[in-house]
Amino acid sequence: MSVGDRLQGPLLLSLGLGVLALTAVAILVAGPVSDVLSKPAVSSGYDIERMVLFYSTLPRLVMALLCGAGLAASGAILQQVLRNPLASPTTLGIDAGARLALALAMLLTPSLVGIGRDAVALLGSTATTLLIFALVRRRGFSAISIILAGLVVSLYCGALSAILVLVENRQLASLFIWGSGSLSQQSWEPSAALAWRLGIVALPLVLLLRPLSLLELGDESARSLGLSLARLRLLAIGVAVALSAFVTSTVGVIGFIGLVSPIIARLAGARRFGERLFWSSVIGALLLLLTDATLQNLAGVSAEFLPTGAVTAVLGSPLLLLLLPRLKTATRPPSYMPVSHAWAIPFRTSAVIAVTVFVLLITLTILVGRAPSGEWQIAPPDRWNEIMIWRLPRIGAAACAGALLGVAGLILQRLTNNEMASPEVLGVSAGAILAFALSLFAFGNLGGLSESISASVGGLAVLAVILALGRSSGFAPERILLAGIALNALIDAVVGVLSATGDPRAILLLGWMGGSTNGTTTATALQAGLATVVLVTVSLLTVRWLAILPLGGPQARSLGVPLERSRFLLLLLAAVLTATATPIIGPFTFVGLMAPHIVLAIGIRNPVHALLSAVAAGAGVMAAADWLARTVAFPLQLPTGLVAALVGMPFLMILLNRRSAST
Amino acid sequence: MKPSFKRRQFLLSIALSPLFPWLAEAKTGLRVASLDWALAETLIALGQKPIAIVAASDWARWVIEPPLPPGVADLGLQPEINFELLASLEPDLILTSPFVQQLEPVLEKIAETLQLSIYEKGTAPLARQREVTMILGERLDRAEAARNFLANAEQLLDLYRARIAVLDPLPLLLVNFMDARHVRVYGGSGLYQNVLDRIGLVNAWTNETNYWGYATVGIEELATVKDIRLIAFEPIPADTQPTLQQSPLWTRLPFVEAGHVSVLPPVLMFGAVPSALRFARLLVEHLEGLAA
Repeated sequence: MSVGDRLQGPLLLSLGLGVLALTAVAILVAGPVSDVLSKPAVSSGYDIERMVLFYSTLPRLVMALLCGAGLAASGAILQQVLRNPLASPTTLGIDAGARLALALAMLLTPSLVGIGRDAVALLGSTATTLLIFALVRRRGFSAISIILAGLVVSLYCGALSAILVLVENRQLASLFIWGSGSLSQQSWEPSAALAWRLGIVALPLVLLLRPLSLLELGDESARSLGLSLARLRLLAIGVAVALSAFVTSTVGVIGFIGLVSPIIARLAGARRFGERLFWSSVIGALLLLLTDATLQNLAGVSAEFLPTGAVTAVLGSPLLLLLLPRLKTATRPPSYMPVSHAWAIPFRTSAVIAVTVFVLLITLTILVGRAPSGEWQIAPPDRWNEIMIWRLPRIGAAACAGALLGVAGLILQRLTNNEMASPEVLGVSAGAILAFALSLFAFGNLGGLSESISASVGGLAVLAVILALGRSSGFAPERILLAGIALNALIDAVVGVLSATGDPRAILLLGWMGGSTNGTTTATALQAGLATVVLVTVSLLTVRWLAILPLGGPQARSLGVPLERSRFLLLLLAAVLTATATPIIGPFTFVGLMAPHIVLAIGIRNPVHALLSAVAAGAGVMAAADWLARTVAFPLQLPTGLVAALVGMPFLMILLNRRSAST
Repeated sequence: MKPSFKRRQFLLSIALSPLFPWLAEAKTGLRVASLDWALAETLIALGQKPIAIVAASDWARWVIEPPLPPGVADLGLQPEINFELLASLEPDLILTSPFVQQLEPVLEKIAETLQLSIYEKGTAPLARQREVTMILGERLDRAEAARNFLANAEQLLDLYRARIAVLDPLPLLLVNFMDARHVRVYGGSGLYQNVLDRIGLVNAWTNETNYWGYATVGIEELATVKDIRLIAFEPIPADTQPTLQQSPLWTRLPFVEAGHVSVLPPVLMFGAVPSALRFARLLVEHLEGLAA
């Protein structure tokens, strides 16, 4: 194939996109332009059409082009450096980090403008990037691990933002508008500022272009050509992070343009890195322009406020789902949880320690609290009757949810052989939120039973979709996890759209997403307990599969495990465990990620023991989170699910780091 | 014996009540908790101090008046009501809104609940606020106080209307700045619109709003050649002013060039009659100050 042929694809595609985008733009500006032309240029007074055209519509179009190009370039660089076709500012959580940092800054130092905002966005983006690399470095930066870590970090940033919004809920709408990326402009100033920032950051790219394209030859050949790979990667990732951070700091989060554009450029036939970078930027710019111009045309029809960034995410996430099958998921040698290892600590000792810690923990969470005056106290026995009807059900329900998620996490991590797998990546809880959000906005506040029903229907619908998608790959676990990521992103965007209009019902949605155990009734707690006993018993029946599957597909088959059926049943089990826990604790199910790591950290490898310890670890963590949620900011209570996420993440980092240090 | 002592105290308070009305109130007054700010401010206006409300710590920043009486317990965030605390305060009645509807079964374990909403289909908020005030007054044995309060409110609004009439003010554009690029603009069938109509002011925003009477729009949508006055309610994000100064779209707007931009302290937008009165008073006093 000659260079000319190779470039034909992207060129034609860009021309096509350009024609579409220009048509949308033409429809948008035809009226104002003809109006402005028909009038004398020196008309006196304020001409609305003219002013809006020159200082709002046109800067907005330029802003769309700039943001699209910047994000697409960032995605193209990340995909090249990490050699991961799914890398992008969105999937790596880079824009989520910037969003969280800026939200924090807006609340703490409201006067932040200009360079200050950029610095904060850069700081947030860099921090999340470093966090992800710290999470995956032991996995050799494998494609799937990076994406999973990105999802976990995005969700974590989302949980933190949600707490901010809950506590500062009167500024809710502004945080959401900004988090959903509105391109609305009133002057040329922001686009000019963004243009020179992007230009400066893009300069080093000219020098990096050649070395980066050599990465395609593989690390060995690149190194033999005298490249310092580590420094090259660091510099390139720095450029990508800065491009994305500047865009985010200017207009907010614009989802998925950075992921989709480089993929399209590649599919259209841009082979070499330089070509891909160029065409990605062109395609990204045109895609965002097309989306935004179309949206503005539509906005004339309905009065609802639709932020562009959330819309690109709604459109982009199904695309991710479609593109998944193109991702090569190489079978790797088993590197996780070698089951035949001797236990690090004798089981009896660790069991005694674990049981003691667990009992002490639960007792403390029940007895210690805050008196109405705010003082710390051990619940006085004469007031137990009045206090315990509130405390026991919520601690019980939280502990049950933790146990269920702990088992779900253990199953998923063994099934996928990936230590970053956790229940939220299944997308079941995301489906539950979406169903809840839609029923809330369509039918109003239903409360109680209908709320749980709509959530369960949503969760099950997502499960059905995932299983249907997974069938074609023989339920290859990694494919299924990635499908969950796409669904999570979709739900995040839909919630953003619903909330950015400033609808007061958004606070109900957030409260529900926070995972409130507040007001759990004794009946609910008992139901949760019963479900836990049944589901944990069922899970115990699968321990043989859990022991053998981590050895890898071929080995498992030779040991007589029916691969497809066992994977299907384990996925189903994990989904049911998650779906049972979500109504209690909300969609932030980090405890499912943590519990298996706690089990590993105390050195338990035998599957039966591991499963039971995951139950205890999950229950203990959630009970502790529930206690913190109840007491730490008294009289303010925080949602248990969010508190678990906040406390859990740093804890998980410590666990992962300790083990990487010891191996 | 305790019961007889209580009875004696009760009789005494009745005997003295013509002289010291608050004494009788203190004895017969119910212990009322409110999970809604609009209902809480109505309680205060009726002379019934709530024992506890949600988000009490934010009251001074967003509601401002009537000031929250000292000693009102804070029940925490609206989605996370502190039930253990609420139960320990032993309320007789808990006022709720449709926004905490899902908690009713739990709240009923603590005390009787009464759900009231300012925003009902088919009723203008201001009219509904009067209804809610009367319902609360009757439920709390303060019907007299409620009637007096509403009569006072009507008199005040009439007075404001008369004071506005002599000013002949410009149409008003009522906004909250969300950030440097977006505003929430009030109109439609919301509380602010009702009050404007009542006191004879004209709203410059005639486009659609949502059910609650506001729309979120980009600042460019505010462009108009008409001579109007923009009223922005605090808080205004710090970077709004510097950003707008860079925008010719904004700085050359006729009403901006004419300096017809005012900033007023916050008013609770989901409030009841006290908030409506505060809103009207702030507007009237501000417009009179400008005319003077």
